[in-house]
Amino acid sequence: MSTPVITEPASNPAAEPAVVTGAPTAAQRVTSFMPVIALVALLAALTIADPDFLTQRSLTAAVRTSAPLVVLAAGATLVVLCGGIDLSIAALCSLSTVFFAMWLPDLGGLTILVAVAAAGAIGAVQGIAHVVLRIPSFVVTLGGMSIFSAVALVISDAGPIRVIDRDATGWLNLYVAGYLPMSFFVALLVVAVISLIIKLTPLESFVRATGYSESAARLAGTPVDAVKVAAFTVSGACAGLAAVMLASRNFSGSPTMADNLLLPAVAAIVVGGTAITGGHGSLWRSLAGALVVTLLRVGLPIVGVPSAWEQILYGAIIVAAVALTLDRSKVLIIK
Amino acid sequence: MTSPAKADTDVVVPPRPRPRRGVSLLDAGPPIALVVIFAVFAALSSDFRTVGNVQNILDAAAVLAVVACGITFVLMMGSIDLSVPGVMGASAIAVALLVANNRNDNAWGLLGILVAVLLGAGLGCVSGMALVSLRVPSFMTTLGVSAVGLGVATLMFAGVQPNITDEMLRGWAVNRFLGLAYLTWIAVACVLVGWLIQRYSRLGRYAYAIGGAEEVLSLSGVKVAPYKVAVFTLAGAFYGLAGVMVTSQLSAGLVQAGKGYDFAAITAAVVGGTLLTGGRGGVLHSAVGVLLVTVLTNGLVQVGVSPYWQGGVQGLIVVAAVSAAVLPQRRRNQVTK
Repeated sequence: MSTPVITEPASNPAAEPAVVTGAPTAAQRVTSFMPVIALVALLAALTIADPDFLTQRSLTAAVRTSAPLVVLAAGATLVVLCGGIDLSIAALCSLSTVFFAMWLPDLGGLTILVAVAAAGAIGAVQGIAHVVLRIPSFVVTLGGMSIFSAVALVISDAGPIRVIDRDATGWLNLYVAGYLPMSFFVALLVVAVISLIIKLTPLESFVRATGYSESAARLAGTPVDAVKVAAFTVSGACAGLAAVMLASRNFSGSPTMADNLLLPAVAAIVVGGTAITGGHGSLWRSLAGALVVTLLRVGLPIVGVPSAWEQILYGAIIVAAVALTLDRSKVLIIK
Repeated sequence: MTSPAKADTDVVVPPRPRPRRGVSLLDAGPPIALVVIFAVFAALSSDFRTVGNVQNILDAAAVLAVVACGITFVLMMGSIDLSVPGVMGASAIAVALLVANNRNDNAWGLLGILVAVLLGAGLGCVSGMALVSLRVPSFMTTLGVSAVGLGVATLMFAGVQPNITDEMLRGWAVNRFLGLAYLTWIAVACVLVGWLIQRYSRLGRYAYAIGGAEEVLSLSGVKVAPYKVAVFTLAGAFYGLAGVMVTSQLSAGLVQAGKGYDFAAITAAVVGGTLLTGGRGGVLHSAVGVLLVTVLTNGLVQVGVSPYWQGGVQGLIVVAAVSAAVLPQRRRNQVTK
């Protein structure tokens, strides 16, 4: 027999029509609305626990505290979308509060721009180190975290620096239309502008391709390295902006001011449903995630849970949310 | 042309396996670097080259050495462990509340220490279980477990610092044997135990194999998952013991007992020649790395550099060491996440 007839395998594809995932399944649709559902459920639960919670005043206060977290999470989301992770955002944010407080007397109103630019440049350096030296992003940013903390401690002499000139950031403490805190408005603006830029340019496909399959993207001619460096730059700049918000709220800069924001920011990203494996997700999701995290933080004392549980909750939420959103088809071996 | 039959009878002699000449740079580099750095600091500072200071360095390395023992097993598998601060904090507070202290009437002594170590092992087990059953990458599960550990520690701390009055545990940090604190000897014992586990137990050998080629190991019929959980549990037990040691040094339980040790331990392991990609290095490598990091920290302070730079120096070292380790593979078309 020169030509063996292979009937079985040949008929198989015909019997089973190739599964083209067109419309998302019901379960997928529910998970994609998860952050919004969680947000509404949390609001409802808190209102039942304390009817005074759903007032304009307390909501305004909650939204105002969430602003730096929203900005931090939005920036880091870009890195996660590219398939990496930025663990240095909180330390970079602390360092930027020190920069801001130190430079304010000399530079005045320009300080905001300079601080954001400096943080962006530091982020870019991390991105370049990641791309050129080919070190995993979490190692680079873990090292960065350590370095930034050290620099912040040294230049500030390990103490807070008071912000005396309050005019430069006074506008951040105003209210838009009397209700919406300016800092949150700026945070929304940042999310909207970055999302729009990504949406209206080829960047969206670049970022997604890099996140979903870096080697395929590289072969298809996507400027993968440039996209990654840009993502780290934006992440750094966002950390700088968050630092300006924090410094304007606390009237000081300190080398450890934002250090406890790392976990909430990572939680915000993964609770929003952005897959840690990259590709899937958006900045708007992180906005919803940041609001969920803030509501948890504000809400726990209202329900009467000691604040020590906050940490435990963050830990559990991060693991659970990553487990739900992980793209398992991509990583065969989980390290 | 040789017939197939003849070819079959030809005996192909495999090239004789030749022993590797010398030691690879990865193995020999760190000890050489240790000697060089030690010599440089000894030349620069007269305070550095005293017997008392060498004792100080060894005593200061004790806690880090125990943490590094644990984290080495995780790194050998190719995973990463960021849960050190949480696990150490929880066990530090737990042991402070279980031995004789000013908060309650417990005086469990050694049993209390054992419970604290088991608590560490339990938290490590949680990381491993989350990694294996939920299939969440280890840097995320351990970040979460670290937060959980810190939360548990804060709950137990309850606003009042537990100061220990247990003479044995306090004595560990003060009493000396052959010029070194008991804690240092405990660390030496841990390194020894760690090395024996790595060298002679199935757990240690499989940890290597998982880091080297996990697919191959599971294709050859080894159930990888239980070993992964066991490695994280073992690492957790080491961190738990490290937390106990910090409590002994401070005579008090602190939530922040493990702050910074995660990064310092990763630095030590990487500098010692344990690759973050797994499959290389070992406990002895990490022990050399621990001495390197501690000598560097001590020496820089002796030379007059602000101690605040400590973390920054470690950060630079990690980035440099990791990039040097991946240098040979640069040309390969591999994806770096």
